[in-house]
Amino acid sequence: MKKTVPVVVAFLAGFVMVISFFFNTEQIMNWLSVTFGMDSLHGKTMEGFVLQWVTIVSGFTLVLGVFSIVRVNARAVAKKSEGWFYKLLTVVSVFAMAIPAMLPVSKDTVGGKIVFGIFPDSWRALFGTGPTSIYDWLFTYLDQPMMETMFAMLAFFIASAAYRAFRARNAEATLLLLTAVIVMLWRVPMGEAFLRLFSDSLPNYIDLFIMNGFNVAVQRGIIIGAALGAASMSLRIMLGIERTYMGKG
Amino acid sequence: MEFWRKIMNIDRRWVYLLIALSVTFPMIVVIKFPVEVTPVARQLYDAIDKLPDSSVVMLTFDYYPNAAAETEPMSIAALHHMFKKDMRVVTLSNIPLGGPTIAERITREIAAEYDKVYGVDYVNLGYKANYNAVMHGLANSIESIFPSDYTNTPLKDLPLMDSVKNYDDIGFIYVVADNATVDYWIQIVNAQYGVPIGSGVTAVVAPKMYSFVNSGQMTGLLGGMKGAAEYEKMVGEEGKAIRGMDAQSMAHLAIIFLVILGNIGFFATRKKEGKES
Repeated sequence: MKKTVPVVVAFLAGFVMVISFFFNTEQIMNWLSVTFGMDSLHGKTMEGFVLQWVTIVSGFTLVLGVFSIVRVNARAVAKKSEGWFYKLLTVVSVFAMAIPAMLPVSKDTVGGKIVFGIFPDSWRALFGTGPTSIYDWLFTYLDQPMMETMFAMLAFFIASAAYRAFRARNAEATLLLLTAVIVMLWRVPMGEAFLRLFSDSLPNYIDLFIMNGFNVAVQRGIIIGAALGAASMSLRIMLGIERTYMGKG
Repeated sequence: MEFWRKIMNIDRRWVYLLIALSVTFPMIVVIKFPVEVTPVARQLYDAIDKLPDSSVVMLTFDYYPNAAAETEPMSIAALHHMFKKDMRVVTLSNIPLGGPTIAERITREIAAEYDKVYGVDYVNLGYKANYNAVMHGLANSIESIFPSDYTNTPLKDLPLMDSVKNYDDIGFIYVVADNATVDYWIQIVNAQYGVPIGSGVTAVVAPKMYSFVNSGQMTGLLGGMKGAAEYEKMVGEEGKAIRGMDAQSMAHLAIIFLVILGNIGFFATRKKEGKES
């Protein structure tokens, strides 16, 4: 049962999406609606149902993620294991962002009536995700700058790595190095101005031959290879051959 | 030879200092080299510019905050372009962290400059999990996937959404992304539902996108901060991307200088070591 039900669900979901690509499933649903008197199916599509379910299930996976991160970190805080303070910050941050986002902002809803019955209007910034909310403030002035800082630090590591590892050790490495240098020059105004000193059309040639030539040829090979791999994997999942998504080999 | 050996083993903090100086120097001394527009960026601009005024355009914010330096100027320039042409804009995000909040902030800021009204001229749908299902689902009915907008207002209360039910009502989709969602916009929405798509992506993602532009599946492309600067130039709204070009130019030149220096050292020491052995 544990194995069969997921395989059947995966097969049905995949099968509906495949046939919806080739057939107009609205007509099938209309026929079902007339034949079996199920009016609610009229005008609907089969893939429409599956996609709605998938969206709802995906929402629950986010809840599962939150539950998991809280459980793991709360346990470490309770045991006062190494770095427990940072784990506590993680848990606090999760709730600091999640709770305001979940609270109602309108007094017209049932939840809104309860919340605004307790809190005065001046506390409105604590609720919702709007432009004047605490959620927005936390995101704009804490979350975003921190993430951008982490990402910006990559520039320093990339520069250091390029200095130490980017060597013309053989023909292939030399080719890669030269192409990288040319593209780096071409992608910035100062470099482009420098390239134009040699020929006015040099930047256009780089665009034409490197980006739209060699680059496209290689990228297409990768894309087609990945697409074939994805198609075969999908087929394996639908047929129940691939079961690693159940946590087993 | 000892000199080159020292250069090869230089403390990495000197490299960090050089990069720091190369990005901060242009903030003090403005150099401002002209930004040349590439054909792929021009193609994207033309595709939007040729749409009839008051068309409905979908603008996605499929990026995390860490890529905002590259992608946010693209979104801002696109909104200027769209609102100047009185287009109606529907924004959404397939990224849970940041995308919807950035969309909300930027769209409201730019819309205010053009006296655009929320719900009439633009709507922020927010985020829904599983982009694959979302992209397929929007083809059937936007309301089935997004019953309400980012601030939980039901779509039926937003006048703009009365005339926007699915992809048939959308003239163009402009995807701003820093990840693989842009592939799915092409594979699902363009290939299966025929909606024209253009994109603005980070410099890392851009090379892959050239193959889609080349095949005609994608109508135009902006790559990295340079792409954003090109769009700002075409729209006539100088923003963060054009201002950032000097810093990026200097950083690129600094890295090229380091690569050349490293290779000279590599060959000089290798020659010496070869003679010694």
